[in-house]
Amino acid sequence: MNDSLATTPAGAATRPAIGGGGWPRFRRALLAHRGLALGAVIVTLLVLAAVLAPWLAPHDPYLQNTANRMVPPVWHEAGNWEHPLGTDRLGRDYLSRLIYGTRISLFIGLVAALISGVIGSTLGVLAGYFGGRVDAVISYLLTTRLAMPVVLVALAMASLIGGSLITVTLLLGLLLWDRFAVVARSATLQVRDAEYVQAARALGCPLHHILLREVLPNIAAALIVVATLEVANAILLEATLSFLGMGVQPPLPSWGLMIAEGKSYMFFQPWVIAIPGSALFMLVLAINLLGDGLRDISAPGGRNE
Amino acid sequence: MPLLTVEELHVDLPVDAGTLHAVRGIDFHVERGEMLCLVGESGCGKSMTSMALMGLLPRRARVSAASLRFDGIELLDLTERARSDLRGARMAMIFQEPMTALNPAYTLGNQLCEALLRHRRVSRREARERAIYLLERVGISAAAERMAQYPHQLSGGLRQRVMIAMALMCEPDLIIADEPTTALDVTIQAQILRLLRDLQREFGTAVIFITHDLGVVARIADRVAVMYAGEVIETASAEALFAAPGHPYTQGLLNCIPAPGKTPPGSRLQAIPGVVPSLVGELEGCAFRNRCPLAEAICETPPPATHVGAGHVARCHFAARLADPARPPQPEVMP
Amino acid sequence: MWPFIFKRTLVALCVALTISVLSFGLLQLSGDLAAAIGGPEATAEQVERIRIEYGLDRPVVEQFVTWLWGVMQLDFGRSYYYQSSVMDLVVERLPVTMTLGLLSLAIAIGVSIPLGVAAALMRGSWVDRLAMAIAVTGQAMPNFWFGLTLIILFAVNLQWLPAAGSESWQGFVLPAIALGYYATPAMMRLTRSGMLEVLASDYVRTARAKGLRTGSVVFKHALRNAVIPVVALAAVELGFMLGGSVVIETVFSLRGLGQLAWQSISRNDYPVVQAVVLIIALFYIVLTLLADILNAVLDPRLRAR
Repeated sequence: MNDSLATTPAGAATRPAIGGGGWPRFRRALLAHRGLALGAVIVTLLVLAAVLAPWLAPHDPYLQNTANRMVPPVWHEAGNWEHPLGTDRLGRDYLSRLIYGTRISLFIGLVAALISGVIGSTLGVLAGYFGGRVDAVISYLLTTRLAMPVVLVALAMASLIGGSLITVTLLLGLLLWDRFAVVARSATLQVRDAEYVQAARALGCPLHHILLREVLPNIAAALIVVATLEVANAILLEATLSFLGMGVQPPLPSWGLMIAEGKSYMFFQPWVIAIPGSALFMLVLAINLLGDGLRDISAPGGRNE
Repeated sequence: MPLLTVEELHVDLPVDAGTLHAVRGIDFHVERGEMLCLVGESGCGKSMTSMALMGLLPRRARVSAASLRFDGIELLDLTERARSDLRGARMAMIFQEPMTALNPAYTLGNQLCEALLRHRRVSRREARERAIYLLERVGISAAAERMAQYPHQLSGGLRQRVMIAMALMCEPDLIIADEPTTALDVTIQAQILRLLRDLQREFGTAVIFITHDLGVVARIADRVAVMYAGEVIETASAEALFAAPGHPYTQGLLNCIPAPGKTPPGSRLQAIPGVVPSLVGELEGCAFRNRCPLAEAICETPPPATHVGAGHVARCHFAARLADPARPPQPEVMP
Repeated sequence: MWPFIFKRTLVALCVALTISVLSFGLLQLSGDLAAAIGGPEATAEQVERIRIEYGLDRPVVEQFVTWLWGVMQLDFGRSYYYQSSVMDLVVERLPVTMTLGLLSLAIAIGVSIPLGVAAALMRGSWVDRLAMAIAVTGQAMPNFWFGLTLIILFAVNLQWLPAAGSESWQGFVLPAIALGYYATPAMMRLTRSGMLEVLASDYVRTARAKGLRTGSVVFKHALRNAVIPVVALAAVELGFMLGGSVVIETVFSLRGLGQLAWQSISRNDYPVVQAVVLIIALFYIVLTLLADILNAVLDPRLRAR
C-alpha cells in the first residue's frame, strides 16, 4: 500500500487533534482567543493591584489634605507627579483611592457571586435532578425573583438595614442567583440521565454523593461562566447602589461613591468622574470578556458568536 | 443534446488543514426525462455536486468546471440573479430532511405558491389552484384544507410529498432529489419512491436521484453514476451496472447487498475493508487502490476512462477485464 | 393555545400575589410605622393615637388583607411625606417613566435588530465587529456613569440637549439613549445568533432552492423565525428598564416613578416605596405574560398547544 494513501479517515486531517484536557488546553485556547486573552490580562493586573494595594498606592487613601483639594491629574497643566491622578474634594490622593477601590469592587463581586452561586446552583440542580413538583416550586421561586426589580429592592433593603460593605454584598448575593439557577437546572437536565449518573444510582450511592460527585463536576464549566458574568454584574450593581448613596458608605473608596462625590464638580473637572468611571468600565469589560471567552472555549462547537 | 452536461467539475472547500477537494473533476450528463442515480458513500461528494448544480454552495466553496451546461446555458457564466431565475423554475430540489426543510412559520399553501408567484406571471388564485392540484397528485387527501396547515401538523412522509409537489410547481426540466427517502420509514420510503418514479414518467422531468442505497437504485434508475472520493468512477445504464460492474468499487458495493435466493442464509454480509482516503490535499493515481483487491503497481497512475460497453464507462485500469460478462474475475483473496 | 394562556395567566396572578406579600413585608420590616408617621417630635400618646388611627394595632394578617383589598381598588395608602394618596403620586409620575421606558425600548430595538441582522449577514465583516463592540461595551457600561458622560458631552459641551427635566421631548433623548443602550447588547446578540442559526437552516436552503430573491429569503423566511425570541426578550427588557429607571431618572432629574422611589427611600416614606416596587413588578409580570402570548401567536408550533 502506498504511503500517500495512508488510511486516515476522511476529515480526520481537517481538525488538529484535541489532546490533553485541563490546563494545556486552556492555555492554548487562551492564546488563540483574543478577547479571552485581553480579559485575562486586565483582570490579572487589577487583581494584582487589589492584592498589592498597600505597596502600590503612593499615599494613604484616607489621608485628607485641605490645602491640596481638587488637584487635577498629571496630564493637566496644573497637575503634578505627586498626585498622578490628582486629588478629590478633601485632598485625598485619587490614584491611591482608585487602587484601594479595586479591593472593594473585587471583594463584593466575588463574595456576592459566591453566595448567589451557592443558592442558585443548589436550587437549579435540585430542580433539574428531581423535576416534577420540586422543579415546579423552584421555577415558581425563580419567576417571582425575576419579577422583583433588583435595583429598587436592593436600594430599599439597604436603606432599611443601613448601607455598608457587608449589607450590599449580602443583598446582592441573595438577589442575583437567578441565572445560576437557570443554567444549573438546564445543565443538570442534560446529565441527569447520563450513564455515569445512572450507574451511581444503581450502585445505591447516597443522594449527596450523586449530586456533589457526579452531577456538579459535570455542570461546573457552565456555572463558572455564569459566575464570571455575575461577578461583573455584582460589581456594576454595587457601584450603582453606592452612587445612589445606599451602598458602601464614605470614607471607603468605592468607585461608585467616588463618582457620586465627584458629580457636583463634573462640569468643570470632568476627570473626577471620568477616572473612576473608566476604571469601573475596564474592570467589568475585562471580566465579561473573560466570561464570554470561557463560554466560547467550553462550548463544544467552539466560538458561538 | 443532453439536458445537463457536466465536464471537469471541481468543488474545493478551504478547511483548517488546507483545501478539501470535495469534488475532483467529474463528468456526467443527464438526458431529458431520464432518472439518473448518483450513488456513493457519505462524504463522496454527491451532495456537493448537487449543491454546485443548484448554485447553493456556501460562499467559501470554490466551484470550477470546463462546462456546466443546462439546456444550452453555461451555468457558471450566469450572474447570481440569473441563476436564481433558473432555480425553482427550471431546476428544483428535494432535500433529505422533510422535518426541517419546510419553514415552521408559514402555511403549506404559502410555501407552495411562493416559487410559482416568483417565477411566473400568475394570480394568487391560479397559484393556489395549481398547488391544490399538485397536492392531490402527490397523494395528499383534503388538499384544500391542507393548504392552511403548518408543517408541524404533518408527518414526515406527508411533508416529503409536499416537498415533491413544491418542486413540481413550475414544471421544472430537472429535479435534484438528495436522498429524499433516507429519513423516512421503510414502508413510506417505498411509497415515495414509487410516487417520484410515476410523476417523473408522467411529467417527463429529468431527475438526479442521489442515494447511498443500491437497493433504491435498482428500483428506479435509468442510468447510474457511481461516485467515490470525489470522482465519478463508473457510469452505466442500470441493467449494465447490475449485470457487469466495470469497477471493483461498484462490485464491492453490489457484494454488500444480500440477494434473495442467491446469498446463502447465515452467510456474513460483506463490507469493503479499509477507509476512504482523506480528500484534503492532492490524491495521485486511483483513489480506491488502498481498498482494492485487484490493486497493482499500475494503479499509482491515474486510471483512464475506459469504455466497456454502450454508454458504460469505468475509471479502472482493469475495467475491460472486469466488465466482460463472459469471464467475471473474482478477486482471489478478500483481506 | 387557550389552555396555555389560561395556565400562564394563573401563574402570573400567583406571582403577583407573592410579590404583594413580599412588598407588604417590606413595610413591616421598616420598624415602628406609627413612630415613623408621627415624626421625631411626636409624643408617646400621639404615636399611640396614630397607631389606632392607621389600624397598626391590628394583627398583621388583618392589616395585610385590608392593605391588599385597598391595592385591588388601586388604593396604596397615604404617603408619610406628602400626606397625600400614594396613587395620586404614582399617577402623576407614571407617564414620565412610561415615556422613558418606551422610548428606550424603541431605541434598543431600532439599533439591535438591524445591527444584529446585518452582523449575521456579513459575518466577520466590519459591521459584525462593530456590532460586537457595541454589545461588549454596552454590557460593561455603568449606566449612571454613561448618563453623566452624555450630560457632559451633549448638554454641557455641545449644548444640543437639556441635561435634565421632563418638560419637553428633548429632555427624554439623553436618558432614553442611556437606558436603551443598557438593553441593546442582549437583544442584539440574540438577533445575531438567531439569524445565524436560521440562515444555516434547511428551510432557508429550501427557500433559496426555489430561486427566491435574497430579500425574500432574508426577511420573509429567516427574520420571521429569528425575531420570535427577540420579541419575548424585548418585553422582559422593558420590564428591566422600568426597574432601571430609578438610576436614570435620578441622574437626569426626571420626575418619574423611579425618582419618586429613590426620594421616598431616602425619606423612609415606605408606603410609596412599597407601591412603586409592586407596580414595577406588576408591569414586569404583565409584560412577560404578554410576551409569552405573543410568542404563541407568532410561532405556529406553540399556537397548537
